[in-house]
Amino acid sequence: MTALSNDLYFTFLSLRFEFGNHLKRKRILVVVAFAIIIPVLLMYVFPVHIPDDDIGKLIAEMNAPIQRAINSLDFSCFLMIYLTALLFASGSISDEFEKKTGLLLYPTPQRRVSIFAGKYLAALAAVLLVVSMIYIVVTAQVIGLYGMGSIPVALGKSYLAAAFYSCSVVSIIYFFSSIFKKALVSAFTGLFLLFLVLPGLQILMDTLELDKENWFLLSSHVNLITAVLNESRVYPEGLFHSTVQASFGTGLAVMIAYAIIFFVAGTWIANRKDMI
Amino acid sequence: MEYAIQTKNLVKRYGRRFTALDDISLNVRKGNVVGYLGPNGAGKTTTIKILTKLIKPTAGHAYINGIDITRPSPEVLGKVGSLIEIPGMYEFLTPVEMLTYFGRVYRIDKQSLDQRIKEILSLVKLSDWANKKTSKFSTGMQRRLAIAKAVLHKPDVLLLDEPVLGLDPSGIKDVRELIRQFKNEGMTVFLSSHLLGEVAEVCDSVIFIDKGKIIDSKTMKDITNRLASKAIRVEFSSPVSDDDVARIRSVKSVSNIDILDNNTLLIHFEGGLPASHQILRDLAGMNLEILSYDHDRMGVEDYYLSLFENESGAKQ
Repeated sequence: MTALSNDLYFTFLSLRFEFGNHLKRKRILVVVAFAIIIPVLLMYVFPVHIPDDDIGKLIAEMNAPIQRAINSLDFSCFLMIYLTALLFASGSISDEFEKKTGLLLYPTPQRRVSIFAGKYLAALAAVLLVVSMIYIVVTAQVIGLYGMGSIPVALGKSYLAAAFYSCSVVSIIYFFSSIFKKALVSAFTGLFLLFLVLPGLQILMDTLELDKENWFLLSSHVNLITAVLNESRVYPEGLFHSTVQASFGTGLAVMIAYAIIFFVAGTWIANRKDMI
Repeated sequence: MEYAIQTKNLVKRYGRRFTALDDISLNVRKGNVVGYLGPNGAGKTTTIKILTKLIKPTAGHAYINGIDITRPSPEVLGKVGSLIEIPGMYEFLTPVEMLTYFGRVYRIDKQSLDQRIKEILSLVKLSDWANKKTSKFSTGMQRRLAIAKAVLHKPDVLLLDEPVLGLDPSGIKDVRELIRQFKNEGMTVFLSSHLLGEVAEVCDSVIFIDKGKIIDSKTMKDITNRLASKAIRVEFSSPVSDDDVARIRSVKSVSNIDILDNNTLLIHFEGGLPASHQILRDLAGMNLEILSYDHDRMGVEDYYLSLFENESGAKQ
């Protein structure tokens, strides 16, 4: 058996074992339940606003399915991506040190890289499962309210953006999990980077009017998930409208670059780490 | 000769100041049970962690079955079983689930694996707990499950780091029995401990380590010979006179006599057990009424302590 097929075998084993552990812990069932309940609740909390004036009413009615999807996704998608990534990625490597289970797992005939790749994929699978569930619920809502033909095509692009963003968030938290020996510290440091450092840099660059140069910041592309829906709004013929075009391709490329860089860096660090 | 375990000039440093292992070279023959003894912090666990690729040595080499463990490929660990410190358990899993995963890692086919898990859980007396979550396990049970994981794949080499740590006397007895069984199955067992008494019963030889250096290496036979008594404590039913003492002093092999009290003497002698038997026969021939005749033994722990005391004394 070649080294590659060995590695793939052990990665698959690790993925199955880790995902099985997630299922046993029942945490995943709780987040999946949240992923179903929150978008449904948001339907009642944020109903689609229909203005009084004729043009406004017409535009709102034409775009009601899109607005419905945005209202549900805007909060639930981000909340659930962060929550699920924290729950499943922050301990992926830290836990082996903190709980000393690495003393059982590492002295085995598998490369650590395979173990870590499996753990990363298991965390990612958990997040993607939750994100997929949210989009299924939102799609079902739109169909239920406006009929099958009303599903915005941009919902697919939005899902793609959410999936890519999930990859980058999981990678960032996984990276910190490879550095710290406590899952809680990994989680807080990951959140610190996502909520303070990256947005802070973006604000700084905007203040310095370097907004065209901040394409490489992940935070510049976070809103892509709903922006692709916004830009797909339709307007009555002849009516002037302007929407900010979301840089979809660049956004996805930046997200996947963050995912790869943080995953590779995290795996490299974890692989070099002594199990003291 | 091919050794099951071998290290050559193994060094592990943490930073510039602390040296955990300082030029450790040791050899363990195949099929032997070898104790690795030293006080806490001596470097025992560090050595075992290097042998299981958990940490990388700063210098030197370590070999398992002749294969350099510092090579990137982890396949050599397929023939090694290990129990290191007190490992954590996957607390949401049952022993069967946990061992099934590790069985797949060791590529044991499904049918053999199910059978092997039953066997091994029975061996470590956890059959009744096979499908209970490990979060409910006591320390002793967790330790036995970790031993089950270590021998699940029938390794050639078994590395046990303080295997009886935290166990009650019955648990210690069980672990000793298991080690004897593993030896009978032909495994090479390398066993670390900070108590000589714990390993003396099961080991063929012992390596002593202190402050990252090997300070002595002996077979258990050598140690037993060293511990063999050179003095006999004899208690008489009536007070011993000076004449009696003079007569005993004239017995062949007797080198000196300490008078402990009116009725008790400590007789020092030269030679082994046959000399002691002859002294007893000679005393009986003198018509002295002997109440007890005991070898004044040095315990294994005394030997162990004297070894480390000598080592620290030599350094001062």
